[in-house]
Amino acid sequence: MSEAMNAAQPGVPAEFSEFGPESAAIYCQNLSKHYGEIQALEALTLSVPYGSVFGFLGRNGAGKTTTMRLLAGLALPTAGRAWVAGMETTSARRQARLRFGYLPQEPAFYNWMSACEYLEYVGQIQGLNKAKRASQIDRLLALSGLQDAARRRIGGFSGGMLQRMGIAQALMGDPPVLLLDEPTSSLDPAGRYEVLDMISQLRGKTTVFLSSHILTDIERVCDTVAILHKGRLVLVSGKDELLEQHPVNAVELEFEPIYGSSDQEMLARFSSALQEKAWVASVKRENARLRVMVQDVSRGKRELLPLVMAHDLSLNRYEWVRPSLEDIFLQLSA
Amino acid sequence: MLIMAYSLSIFLMITLPLALAAGLRRVSRPVWLLFSVGSLTFILSQAVHLPLNDWLADIGFLPKSSVDELPLWRTAVTLGLTAGLCEELARAAGYALIKKLKPIWMRWQDSLMLGLGHGGIESMIFGGVLTAAGFSSLLSMREIDPNTLGLNTEQLAALKLQLELFTASPWNAILPLIERTLAISIHVVFSLLVWRAFARGKLSRDWYYIPLAVLYHAAVDAAVVWTAETSSANYVLMMLIFTSTLLPGWAWALWLLRKERVLRAAIKRERERQVGDSSIWAELSVFWAASIKELRQLWRTKRLLVMGAVFLIFGMGSPVIAKFTPLAFRSIEGMEMFAEMIPEPTAGDAMGQYIKNLAQFGFILAVLMAMGVVVGEKERGVAAMIISKPMPRWAFVSSKLAAQGVMYLTGFILAGTGAYYYTLFLFEPLALGDYALLNGLLYLWLMVFVALSVLGSTLAGSTVSAGGIGLGLAIALLLAGALPRYGALLPGGLMGWANQLGQRAAGVAASLPGSASASAEVMANGGAAASALVIILMSLVLAIGVFEQQEL
Repeated sequence: MSEAMNAAQPGVPAEFSEFGPESAAIYCQNLSKHYGEIQALEALTLSVPYGSVFGFLGRNGAGKTTTMRLLAGLALPTAGRAWVAGMETTSARRQARLRFGYLPQEPAFYNWMSACEYLEYVGQIQGLNKAKRASQIDRLLALSGLQDAARRRIGGFSGGMLQRMGIAQALMGDPPVLLLDEPTSSLDPAGRYEVLDMISQLRGKTTVFLSSHILTDIERVCDTVAILHKGRLVLVSGKDELLEQHPVNAVELEFEPIYGSSDQEMLARFSSALQEKAWVASVKRENARLRVMVQDVSRGKRELLPLVMAHDLSLNRYEWVRPSLEDIFLQLSA
Repeated sequence: MLIMAYSLSIFLMITLPLALAAGLRRVSRPVWLLFSVGSLTFILSQAVHLPLNDWLADIGFLPKSSVDELPLWRTAVTLGLTAGLCEELARAAGYALIKKLKPIWMRWQDSLMLGLGHGGIESMIFGGVLTAAGFSSLLSMREIDPNTLGLNTEQLAALKLQLELFTASPWNAILPLIERTLAISIHVVFSLLVWRAFARGKLSRDWYYIPLAVLYHAAVDAAVVWTAETSSANYVLMMLIFTSTLLPGWAWALWLLRKERVLRAAIKRERERQVGDSSIWAELSVFWAASIKELRQLWRTKRLLVMGAVFLIFGMGSPVIAKFTPLAFRSIEGMEMFAEMIPEPTAGDAMGQYIKNLAQFGFILAVLMAMGVVVGEKERGVAAMIISKPMPRWAFVSSKLAAQGVMYLTGFILAGTGAYYYTLFLFEPLALGDYALLNGLLYLWLMVFVALSVLGSTLAGSTVSAGGIGLGLAIALLLAGALPRYGALLPGGLMGWANQLGQRAAGVAASLPGSASASAEVMANGGAAASALVIILMSLVLAIGVFEQQEL
């Protein structure tokens, strides 16, 4: 990759842009998509290594779904090209679509079909023989926990079942790469747990390219993270490296539970007082818990506890921690 | 044998351009939409060309009724120039538009696809439709005494000559096919010539290719007119002269393609691709799976059942309505006098009722059932799920039309069987051959509207607008049937043919001019049948071309 290209993406280390189409599970070269004046995606150059569970983060409208649709060959790029498992997917070649499984944000199926019939149809489209189709359907129904619903009409499935069905159909034919577009965004906590668990089981077997704006999901299952903001790639990094790069500059405070309005007022006053301090970057409050991002750690360590005592608050927990992915994401996409 | 030979020739004149385009697409992947763009440039050029020739005839620059009215050289040159100017300028306008809107479609293979579209639709219309119209008319006239047709001596001689030629040997059927194949090849050359004017991005330097194409087109057409009038119907001589005018064009095109080494490279690439990529058989197998899935969907969603029931009811009901309408009037107090005015119903009335019912309700069903087939899946997101798999887009659209075709075939079998049984029961047996052909024609007529609705469903962004587009296209086609000179060659002409067959099947003599007996000669309208096939195929090609460009 040319230096100029890397220079255009300052937050992208060479290892995530230098691998070519042949050696990366996903490779985008200057991939751009404009809708009239709107630049949905701008010159994305990115390599996704084989075997990774790659989190593609961004706020709503950042260009995540556009990238997914370009990779899946469902949209035509304004400029640039993309390869999945060594085959160009932006050239409308049929064979390229055997290299990945795709799950859109809101998967839709033929509601009159059963799970079994749908997977059978997908297998036929992929040219799998009858025996291979049968064995894969059994395996995928087991993986997705849909054995009991195998003969039921898809039209009667719950949201979680539909997402698991979506991942199962994407895995049909054992594609080396899985493109999952916000697979948990419309699910309740139980459904999210089921789907994330299913994705975790794929680690090491399939490269998963997962877009989401739910940071806890990404933090839980992904090993590599990219952040897209307003159509531009602002950062790519291993998740652990990313968190380690950011120093311990957050402190979590947990107070006695709030029972009355006077407690409430005291905590609110303390929170306001904190925000006025020059060494504090941000304060996030959730009931009786405060998460404080600190700009000057040594001053914070000196002044924080005296401030707590000055406000006459009862402290249950006091812990210095690393910033979460959410903190980093908010900072980068601000 | 004669009918089979001409039917095959006509079928090939209609389908050969599409087969060539499909082959080109596999070798070098130009988009299908360019075939439709090429066809459109031809149709638009004719919208100017035909009235221009009429006007030149009106002002005496071209002969009006007989070619002997004016010097032949002048007629040949004028006809050649009007064709060259209209068609090549339309082609140039097409390239200018493509260059502006989609510059990536300015490759050599794109120009070949445009040429195939332009020459292809010409082959379908001037070859397939007109040959079918002429052949079916002549076939019908074999049993009629030409002297009773009220023609002048010159027209009568021409008719007799044509009849002799058509009926002399089945091998003569190959002549129009060869001529059209040659014409397609020269259209590809013309297309390359005009492409050269735009290809290098310097029209100010390369403009001369456009007048060159006009002059070459004019020379070829003038030679064809000249030899047609001077070769005394010696078709071998005509073909030889025609071919010799094409040789310089072919040589130049081959030189150009070899020079750019594109052909060899494309074929090599295709061989490599075939190894690792899908073969045509793999794609056909997906098309088959998709068609079966569509049929299962029609069955499981009860559409096939509903449609079959509707067709069966109208099939069985038609003879019943014909039989009992006078009785119904008689049973209503005060209406008895109307019953007296209605003649005793016959099997012919049953057939008339049958055709009317299936045409009216079939038309409505065709639009309603097909309007959501593509857009419905796009709206719900199923299309995106399926197209992200190795499903060729052509197979996605074609399977829907194929399944609709099978559904209506089932409907016609049910309706036909029901109507036959009740006509037999209430009236008399029908002539089975005529009755089967009648149903075939009605089916072909209906499939035109199904294809237009599938096209509407592909073009539209919502099911409602798809219905509007499908209905609009269908009504436009029905209205076009009223056009003087050309209207009878449109699919609406199938109705007249079907009605005559219905009457003959029922044993009622049709009143044809010159009909020698009451055995009822039917005036076949092969042109309408061929045009129906052309519209179905071109609607499908346009739908595929548009769907290939759509983002899901």
